[in-house]
Order: sequence, then structure tokens, then C-alpha cells
Amino acid sequence: MNRIDSTFDPVMAPRAVARENAIVVRRRWQRSLLTFLMVFGPGLIVMEADNDAGAVSTYIQAGGQYGLHLLWTLIVLLPICYFVQEMVARLGIATGKGHAAMIYERFGQWWGRFSLIDLLFVNFLTLITEFAAISLALSAMGVSPFISVPAAALGLTLMVVTGSYLRWERIVILLCLLDLTWFGLVWTMHPDWSGMARSSAIPTMPPGGITSSLIFLIIAIVGTTIAPWQLFFQQSCVAEKRLRFSDLKWARLDTLIGAVFTVLVAGAMMLVGDSGFRHRIVFEDPAQLALALGPVAGKFVRNGVLLLMVNAAVLGTTAISLASAWAYGEVKGWEHSLHKKLWEAPGFYATYIACVGAAAAFVLIPHVPLQLVIISVQVFAGLILPSAIIFLQLLLNDRDLLGDRWVNRPWNNITNWTIIVILFALSLLLAAQVMLPKLFSR
Amino acid sequence: MATLQNSYQPEYFSVVHPLDDVPEPKCSSEGLGHIAMTPAVRISLMVLRGYLIAMSLMLGYHVLDLAGAFHGLK
Repeated sequence: MNRIDSTFDPVMAPRAVARENAIVVRRRWQRSLLTFLMVFGPGLIVMEADNDAGAVSTYIQAGGQYGLHLLWTLIVLLPICYFVQEMVARLGIATGKGHAAMIYERFGQWWGRFSLIDLLFVNFLTLITEFAAISLALSAMGVSPFISVPAAALGLTLMVVTGSYLRWERIVILLCLLDLTWFGLVWTMHPDWSGMARSSAIPTMPPGGITSSLIFLIIAIVGTTIAPWQLFFQQSCVAEKRLRFSDLKWARLDTLIGAVFTVLVAGAMMLVGDSGFRHRIVFEDPAQLALALGPVAGKFVRNGVLLLMVNAAVLGTTAISLASAWAYGEVKGWEHSLHKKLWEAPGFYATYIACVGAAAAFVLIPHVPLQLVIISVQVFAGLILPSAIIFLQLLLNDRDLLGDRWVNRPWNNITNWTIIVILFALSLLLAAQVMLPKLFSR
Repeated sequence: MATLQNSYQPEYFSVVHPLDDVPEPKCSSEGLGHIAMTPAVRISLMVLRGYLIAMSLMLGYHVLDLAGAFHGLK
């Protein structure tokens, strides 16, 4: 049975207010375009924010170690990203609630608490890596971490406390579009265009054949392209934006555009790494590569890579912190909306500010064990991603909740269960490699 | 003389931003309780529990290994 929210009163609904705010157009295509532009945002943001500092590092490392050989992985990941996030958008539109709240309501407190605590923990650890990247990139440009990290934390806080979701969304879309600069960087480095097209379409064996390092780099690419916070973020964001049932097709298009854009940007990052591969530059992180590329490719490339690394970290930080604040606020029953002023939703904003502030402060501690943090992110992400995605799949087969209109179709289920089995296996393998490295060194 | 009639009636479409629109009724879990334990749900949760136990055992082994608990056995 499809149940309808009992608090809704269609008779008393203020339709006149909606009509007052309507924009009148004369053509169907104008209506479609305008509606799409109004719905556009959550799909692009969730996808592009996933190209965060960790992703920059992983993709550049993939290009630096294997040249163009791993470009095909991104093409494979494109439909997977889309299918997973489409389910999230559909569930968000159908229920008007976030993922954490739905897990609590339908699976009980134990699974709810487990998901929430794991999400908050892995998100916090990821935030530390984002601030570490900001510190690293701006240090390479001569800015002290004691200036760059607090300034970034302050900027990230000011972005959300304005009491307007739309203001935050516009700023973040602008930051997403800054990632177009990656294509400019690639253009100036004259990549092998035909090799790029070939490697994107046909998987090729890198020199050295299949090694454990190659397999785990592929798993890391999968892990960084589909992150657990994305499920929670997009569902909450769709609910926050109050998308309507009729907006679903535009939300799907938004998600598809986001997925394509993200994969293209990720490909550009790999190509930047490939330029290091072609110049035989040995590097451990993107900042080192940027500095080494400076004399070869010029200041634009050097500063571009460093600043885009900061942009990636800022995008990741705001989305991940919001995913935490929304999830915690939903479960606690607090006001949890960017439409609210700071004093109207104190718990929600306090969670966001605490996440950002604590991660920034952690990075400023001398000799902080960043390697341990990175390993912990991989382990805890391996715990939360399969469970969050299982709950998503089960919720989208919950006819009592969603009715026939919103539940998965059989082809959805076949696709999604296949994706889930692959993600389970890869998460287990990655966690095993991180925790039991001796098993794989034999 | 034939009379010319203007049959053109312009169509107008109004577009409302989701944030300005009337809230619509959503699918609610109110009064539904927990999800029905169908075979698919039961098996999925069982597999998930098994997976989490395997991960926890691996993590526990790793922590003990780092703490040197197995040095005497090697």
C-alpha cells in the first residue's frame, strides 16, 4: 500500500503563493528548459564533489603509474555511478526524506545507528584528508598551513550559514564548473589523442602485466568514484530542494550530466598524471607532480594543478560535511535545513561547523599520522558502502512504502544487484589488502 | 466577403521553482513499522551481517598484529 503523509492537506495548501512565484512562458521547450534549470544542481554537485582531493590523488597516480592504460575503468564506472545515484534521487523525491532517516524508520535503531556512526566516522576521516590536501597544495605555493587551513575552514563555514540553500547551491555549482580548467590543463600538455580514444574504448594491458598494485589501483579508482557519503548526500539534497514527483525526469538528467562531467574530469586528471608518466617524473602526490611539471609545462599547469587540488578539497569538504549534518539532524529530529538561519537550526549548523573545524584543527597538529587516517578511510568506507547500498536497494523494493510507481523495475534490480555484488567483492578485497597486506605479498 | 477569424489561442505555461511550490504529499512510513521480512530482505541482511563480521575479524586481527600479539607465533 502506498501511504500518503497524513499531515498534508491539499485543500488548505497555499496554491496562490505558488502561482505568485510562477514564471510564465509561451513554449513547451521553454517550460522544459526552465524546469530543468530549476531542478539542476544536486546531481552535478554530488558527482563532481566526489572528484575530491582523494580522487585527484588516485586518478593522477593512475595516470602517473600506468599512463593511459586505466582510462577504460572510468567508462565502465559511468553507468554504475548513474544507476546508483538515480536510485538515490528517486527515493529522495518519493519520500522527501534523507537516507539515514529512512534506514532508521524501516530497518530499526540498530542498523540506523550503525549506518549513522560509520558514516559520521568515515566522513570525518575523509575531511581530514581534504584539509591535508589544502595544506599540501597551498604550502607548495608558499602559503603557510596555519593561514590556508583556518581560512579554508572559515570560508567553508560562511558558505552555508547564509540561510539560503539556493545561495549555497549556486556557489557550489560555480566551484564545480571551475573543474573545466582540467580540460585546459590537458590541452596545454598535448596528450596523445588517438591513444586516449583507444585506451578509453578498449582495456589494454600495461607494461608489467597484472600485478597486485594494478588490481588495487583499479579497486581504489572504483572506491573513490562511488563513495558512501554520496548516497546520503544526494537523497538529503533532493529532499532539501523539495523536488516534486514531476521533477524526477529532470533529476535523472541532472544526475546523468553530473556523472558524464565527473568521468570526463576524472579522465582529465588521469591525463595530467600521464604527462608525468611521459616525462618520467616520479611523484608521491599531485603537489609534487605539479612542482615537477612546472619547468616542463609552465606556470599555468603548475599553479593550475595546485589550485584545482584545493578546489577539489573544498567541494569535497562542503558536500561531505553537509552529508553528515543532514544525516545527524534527520535522525535526531532537529531542524536540518540550509533554508534555516543559524539560530533556527543550531544543532544542524553546529554539526557542520564541528566537522569542518575539528578536521581543520586535526591537520594542524604536528606529525599527524595521515597515512593511518587514509588507511582508516578505506577500511570504514568498505564497511559503510556495501551496507548503505544494500539498504538503498531494499528500500527501493519496499512496496509498502513506495507503492508500485516508485519501486525498482526488474531490470533495475538485475543491474543493481550485479553492481552490489561487485562492490561487496571489491570492498572486501580492498579492506583485506589494507588490513592483511601479507596475504597479497606472497 | 468571407470573414477572417483569428483562431490562434496562445498557450501559456507556468513554471514554479520547487522551493516556491506547494508541498506535495510524499510516500510516508508513518504507521508502517519496520520493513516486511521477505526472503530477499532476510537474505540481504544475513549476508550483510556476515560481511560485517568478516570485516571486523580482519580489523581485529590487523590491530592485534600491529600490537605484536602474534610475534611469538611466527
